[in-house]
Amino acid sequence: MTDLLAIEDVTKRFGGLRAVGGVSFTVKAGSITSLIGPNGAGKTTLFNLISAVLRPTSGSIRFDGHEVTRLPTYALARLGMARTFQNLAVFKHETVVDNLLVGLHTRLRTDPISAAIFLGRARREEIQARERVEEIIEFLEIEDLRDKAVGTLSYGLQKRVELGRALAIGPKLLLLDEMVSGMNQEEREDIARFVLDLRDELGLTVLMVEHDMGIVMDISDHVCVMNHGEKIAEGPPAAVSVDPHVIEAYLGSRRAA
Amino acid sequence: MRTGHFKESYGELVALTDSSVTRAWVGLLVVALLLLPLVAGNYGLSLATAAMITVVGAVGLNLLTGMTGLISVGQSGFLAIGAYTNALLLADYKWPLLASLPASGIVAGVLSLLVGVPSLRLKGLYLAITTLAFAFIVNHVILYAEGLTHGPNGVFLPNASLLGIDVSRDRPLYFLVLAVTILVVLAVLNIKRTRIGRAFLAIRDHDIAARVMGVDLVRYKLLAFVISSFLVGIAGALLSLQIRFVNVDVFGLILSIEALAVIILGGLGSTAGAILGAVFLSMLPELIRIAFSTFGSTQSVTYTTYVYEIRGIAYGVVIVVFLRFKPDGLIGLWRDVRRYWTNWPLAY
Repeated sequence: MTDLLAIEDVTKRFGGLRAVGGVSFTVKAGSITSLIGPNGAGKTTLFNLISAVLRPTSGSIRFDGHEVTRLPTYALARLGMARTFQNLAVFKHETVVDNLLVGLHTRLRTDPISAAIFLGRARREEIQARERVEEIIEFLEIEDLRDKAVGTLSYGLQKRVELGRALAIGPKLLLLDEMVSGMNQEEREDIARFVLDLRDELGLTVLMVEHDMGIVMDISDHVCVMNHGEKIAEGPPAAVSVDPHVIEAYLGSRRAA
Repeated sequence: MRTGHFKESYGELVALTDSSVTRAWVGLLVVALLLLPLVAGNYGLSLATAAMITVVGAVGLNLLTGMTGLISVGQSGFLAIGAYTNALLLADYKWPLLASLPASGIVAGVLSLLVGVPSLRLKGLYLAITTLAFAFIVNHVILYAEGLTHGPNGVFLPNASLLGIDVSRDRPLYFLVLAVTILVVLAVLNIKRTRIGRAFLAIRDHDIAARVMGVDLVRYKLLAFVISSFLVGIAGALLSLQIRFVNVDVFGLILSIEALAVIILGGLGSTAGAILGAVFLSMLPELIRIAFSTFGSTQSVTYTTYVYEIRGIAYGVVIVVFLRFKPDGLIGLWRDVRRYWTNWPLAY
């Protein structure tokens, strides 16, 4: 398998605070990779660096053969990178359909003039966009919520809409930031099932930050562990779960106790 | 409740409305507006014209402040730019109206880039203050660039004609404004249902998520400024055609406040709301005048003496009452009423 995403020696400082320090790892195409670590380990910061919401202080990030370290945030969607946010970032006043349609933004071409006239090409494009969105709605099993304002839905369903919006981008790589936090058992299992389906049926590569060890151990191919902004271990789930560094990061060392 | 309603093609999903009832009412409204000159006198007609000009301006402002979430208190500056461009092109440069009307919008749109650029970094109140400053700058430039703008003397408009029809008379002007209003409303509704409108809404609701979805914030914020100011500039040009004499005093700070009042009153973000708010606030002084005159001649005199003060107070009261009791505005009120009668006689 080839590397879809390669992070090389990435560091991010906020003033005197080093949130991420010299982290390197790769995500293989077609894999499900998990990024875990205690709170404050720098996982979400690393996600923000990968998705270009923040700029790294040093280091480089390559995605699908492109150097993306210095690209503006909006350019990554077109290259095929999509993400969800740890705290919901849905467009809460809009309907489920409109949220998903925003995800299609980079796939559509309409310019302001033809948009104002809305005949011919603009209309055809909107119709195609609706067809595409219907596929995602069907995949995520939210047919009955189409026209509801997203802000009125439950937390779990809003997360699902956010996942759908990321899928609408048509990504090669999907970054999921704590998808299942705050969800009940049933919702968690739904999400785990969706993630597996995404990889197996649509051929997506998934990188996820996750605190739920059950899901991490069950579905990931590769696990990367961070603590204090540094990578402390990586490997298959079974190996990582018995790694002494990881156990120390989560439980503390025997001597300290 | 509406039942038995199915969509058979994706084309129906992107239509402006799927309800034949709505379509019928809108058709009826357009027919009524077309027939209005037959029943209304010159005064009624000029009121209606002023209301529709307000609609054009409000729809433009709403695209920026309601849809994209960029608060602008400076749109009166673009109204002034539109009005002056039209007046000067007609009076001094003898352009035909067919060219000067779009030119007014284009000049306002291009100049809006000047305000748009700071908006890329500023949000909320900071942007509001910047745009406010811009409106003052516009007024001062107009006052002191006498060679170009006639400064404090103002500009008298000559009789303008469009396709051979003299639009300085009430009826042709009414039809011209009606046509422009319909086009503008349709254009904004259309923009709202494409990727451009959705990008605006996305920026308002969550700008970081919008960026991650591939929305170029720089481009779309500037685009919102340009489209909004283009429409406000057109409204200014129409206004200049109606008032026939353009002077900076028309475009004071109070106008920007009124404009914000219109879209708050109508319901932020909704085009229908902006239309309702514009019509309601345009008619408000008239309602007050009628109210005063029904109480006898002394009250009528009081009104004519203090007309500006009373109007100012009325705008203030309307804004406060709506923000306190109906923040969704008139469009929210309309939705509530509709829901009530849909479910009647059950509560819900």
